Order: sequence, then structure tokens, then C-alpha cells
Amino acid sequence: MADTTTEVAQSGAGVDTDALFQQSEIAADYVEGLLDILDLDGDIDELVKDDRPIVEVVGAGLTQLVGPAGATLEALQELTRLAVFRKNGEHSRLMLDIGGFRATRRSELQALAKKVADEVAQYGNPVRLDPMNAFERKCVHDVINARKDVVSESEGVEPDRRVIVSPA
Amino acid sequence: MGTPPRSPDVLRPALEHLVKGIVDHPDEVRVRLVNGRRGKRLEVRVNPDDLGTVIGRSGRTAKALRQVVTGIGGRGVRVEILDSY
Repeated sequence: MADTTTEVAQSGAGVDTDALFQQSEIAADYVEGLLDILDLDGDIDELVKDDRPIVEVVGAGLTQLVGPAGATLEALQELTRLAVFRKNGEHSRLMLDIGGFRATRRSELQALAKKVADEVAQYGNPVRLDPMNAFERKCVHDVINARKDVVSESEGVEPDRRVIVSPA
Repeated sequence: MGTPPRSPDVLRPALEHLVKGIVDHPDEVRVRLVNGRRGKRLEVRVNPDDLGTVIGRSGRTAKALRQVVTGIGGRGVRVEILDSY
């Protein structure tokens, strides 16, 4: 993690950046309280990026909070969003990352999406990817949306929802 | 790479913190550890008005709480959610 300082992306009109920061602050307090009880050391960074509050926890010994395939991280993110809702009544799209798990997963998925997109563009057959959670699907869609030769959509119901990549 | 079991002395306040942060009546949250015949369990008591929040739609929030308890070293410790009265 290079820049750990507060970072604000250009936000569209009508989005209240202060409110988003407030969400990340509530979330950070909630997570920090848990780390204290568990006697875990972690640096907590709060930022707002693409109109989305983000809380990143960095430190050693945090894999227990990530869990198998990120299951514990997803659970903690869900609870953290509820904590924000309880405090200010806003349904938050807050993203929680711990130990760089999402960042790593995103680069894996970007590589996968590129490989699949190239194959689809070359052979012209749609490809169905493995089931993924919302975060993972978005990582794939973002890569596909940036290209003109392929399109993507999600189909199915959680937890079996998956991305399909097709020729444009 | 499982997490080594953590003392219930830590699991209890950890769960209490997680629940207190999401309810309207945090002062009424009580978590206690019970050594039952079928193993250890954490009993969560909340104001009846908060019961729906802590359980969540289709048990989603309760499941998230259980997932975190398991993750932080409480594998095999059950989590039960009750209303306090």
C-alpha cells in the first residue's frame, strides 16, 4: 500500500462526499473496536473513491479476519454496513478490505477477465465464468466494460451468480 | 491455516461489540458464554425491537455474526440469538 493518506476522487454532482467520509469513519471505529478486543495490530485507512467509502485495514496476523475465500471479510463488511446504517440511517456501499485481500483478488480477476475476453474476441463463443460474489463480478465487469470487442452480463442467483462474457 | 482457538473470554466481548454496533439499544445487549451439554455456546440477548436487526432477512445477519465468531477462533462455539424478556 503506497499512499495511505486520505484520497478523494472527483465526485459527481449530488454526491455528498462529507457524508461518505462520515460513513467510513463509523465503519473504521467499528472495525477498530474489534481489533482492540482481539489484540490485533492494524493500521486503518479511510478513503472515498469513485463515490464509495472504503476502509482498509493493513497489518500482520489479519488473515483470520479474511477467512476462507474471504468469507469472514464479507461477513464483517456486511456488519460494518449495518453499523453505518444504525448510526446515520444510510444504506452504505462501503467497501472493507483487510490485509490487501480485495486488492490481490482484484488483480487476479483482472488477469482472468483479460484472458477470457481475448479468447471470446478471438473465437466468438461466449464463456461462463465460475460463480462469484458481487465484488468479484464487478472486478470482471469493469475490465470487460472498458473494451469494445466483448460484453458481459451476470446471470443466476447468489451464491451461484456468474458472469458471462460474449462477443460484442 | 485455521486460526488457533481463542479463549471464550475474548470471543464474548468481541461478539458483544459486533452486536452493540448494529442495534438501536446497545445498552441492552447481553452476551454470555454457556457450557452446555452439546458444547459451548454464546447467548446473545437484545431488546425485542432489535431482534429483527440482529437476525436479518433470512438470517443473513446472524449468519454473518457466526461467520466472524468462527473466523476469530470460535470454531464449534454456537451463537444463539434471543430476545431479552
